Amino acid sequence: MNPLILTILLFALGLGTTITFMSSHWLFAWMGLEINTLAIIPLMTQHHHPRSTEAGTKYFLAQATAAAMLLFASVTNAWLTGQWDILQMSHPLPTTMITLALALKIGLAPLHSWLPEVLQGLDLTTGLILSTWQKLAPFALLLQINPTNPTVLIMLGITSTLVGGWGGLNQTQLRKILAYSSIAHLGWMALILPFYPSLTLLALLTYLIMTLSTFLVFKLNKATNINTLAISWSKTPIITTLTPLLLLSLGGLPPLTGFMPKWFILQELTKQNLPLLATFTALTALLSLYFYLRLSYSMTLTMFPNNLMGTTPWRFFTQSTSLPLALSISMAIALLPLAPAMMALLTP
Amino acid sequence: MTFIMYLLLFLLILGLVAVASNPSPYFAALGLVLVAGMGCGVLVSHGGPFLSLILFLIYLGGMLVVFAYSAALAAEPYPETWGSRPVIMSVMIYVLGVLLVGGIFWGGWYESSWMSVDELMEFSILRGDMAGVAMMYSSGGLMLIISAWVLLLTLFVVLELTRGLNRGALRAV
Repeated sequence: MNPLILTILLFALGLGTTITFMSSHWLFAWMGLEINTLAIIPLMTQHHHPRSTEAGTKYFLAQATAAAMLLFASVTNAWLTGQWDILQMSHPLPTTMITLALALKIGLAPLHSWLPEVLQGLDLTTGLILSTWQKLAPFALLLQINPTNPTVLIMLGITSTLVGGWGGLNQTQLRKILAYSSIAHLGWMALILPFYPSLTLLALLTYLIMTLSTFLVFKLNKATNINTLAISWSKTPIITTLTPLLLLSLGGLPPLTGFMPKWFILQELTKQNLPLLATFTALTALLSLYFYLRLSYSMTLTMFPNNLMGTTPWRFFTQSTSLPLALSISMAIALLPLAPAMMALLTP
Repeated sequence: MTFIMYLLLFLLILGLVAVASNPSPYFAALGLVLVAGMGCGVLVSHGGPFLSLILFLIYLGGMLVVFAYSAALAAEPYPETWGSRPVIMSVMIYVLGVLLVGGIFWGGWYESSWMSVDELMEFSILRGDMAGVAMMYSSGGLMLIISAWVLLLTLFVVLELTRGLNRGALRAV
């Protein structure tokens, strides 16, 4: 891709999210989301492969549907209440429609089925953008509308954690596993949103850090399925040692970063007198933990047979920059002791 | 006005049925033309001549012409018209659905005609729609710049997607 057009597209990606962040008006927020969608499609199809074109088409269809629904809901809101303000949603009908439209945009179950298909067709860098940066703008909107009816978000959240764990069980393709892990994590965020929005922000932040480092690790290993992951010990031994910690952090085991949002969310659900919900969500996290464990197992705990020449690629200097990975992986593993500071930062 | 409004709404629903019953794209484009035209008529009768003009010029004049052209290029050997069996079945079902829903909500109609916007009569200079557009661009001048930039970005995106003919992302495989 031409560097000039790449610059324009990346700039537009930034602009779209920024517009959605700063807007208090539904029309402008919708415009930001549309800019985001438009700008990433050429990035998706940049390799001119039939799979990536298919992924781009599917992404476009899902996002265009969600954006049309959002626009329809905000116009309905203006019609019913005479308000365009994001913060002053009072009528339940447009609020519910907007919640569902944003759920389709970020891929919450049962509106999730586009996400694994799309992510599987992309290269890891674009997949990284899709599962981190593209989630920010819809979440900024989701946090601003005050849900009059928490049932919708709770149902979306429970279904997502369940489907995210369940769907990832039988996958061998890493990008599909990451998509299902994204669905499960977004489910946790949607679940706590009606009760304690700061925890949604905290979960989003930790999820972004963890998934960023996971994508970077896979990119460094050039791994897109489990078999390729099994020979990563010969390429990058240190990363191979650290990755199980990263994956278990995604799974939410103490004392890693990923434990923090799950801990706080379960505690808050218990405080709100919803022990059944908390138990069910914790049990669905076990399903996700299974495939993270399987990834760690095949990456670290097995030594894939290889010929003698194949065991020493780690001696070569790697050409790719590893500073972002170094920073993000240390944050993704060891951020739990900073939990009080992060909570203080995110609580209004 | 009441009779014209009735006619426009009836044809609008008929056009929607014609599109939704899933004929070949070539014929569905005709249904879309009907829907767009009648929608413009409804807008005018409801007191939005500027919006109606924009919709007519851009949707019908720009987008739908290109769509109909490309649908005509994609020659199907056996196109599905509204006469063929699966299409006529869905036409029946949709018409029945419209009648059913219409029957349920029939009591909600009052006097069968719509008051036009701002309660002005049919002829006036300053309307809600024109004033709204003017206000959006005068108090929100940034909107104009951003909108222009988005249009330019769309051009870049389309060029990038269709670049390179047989090597590009969009091609006949």
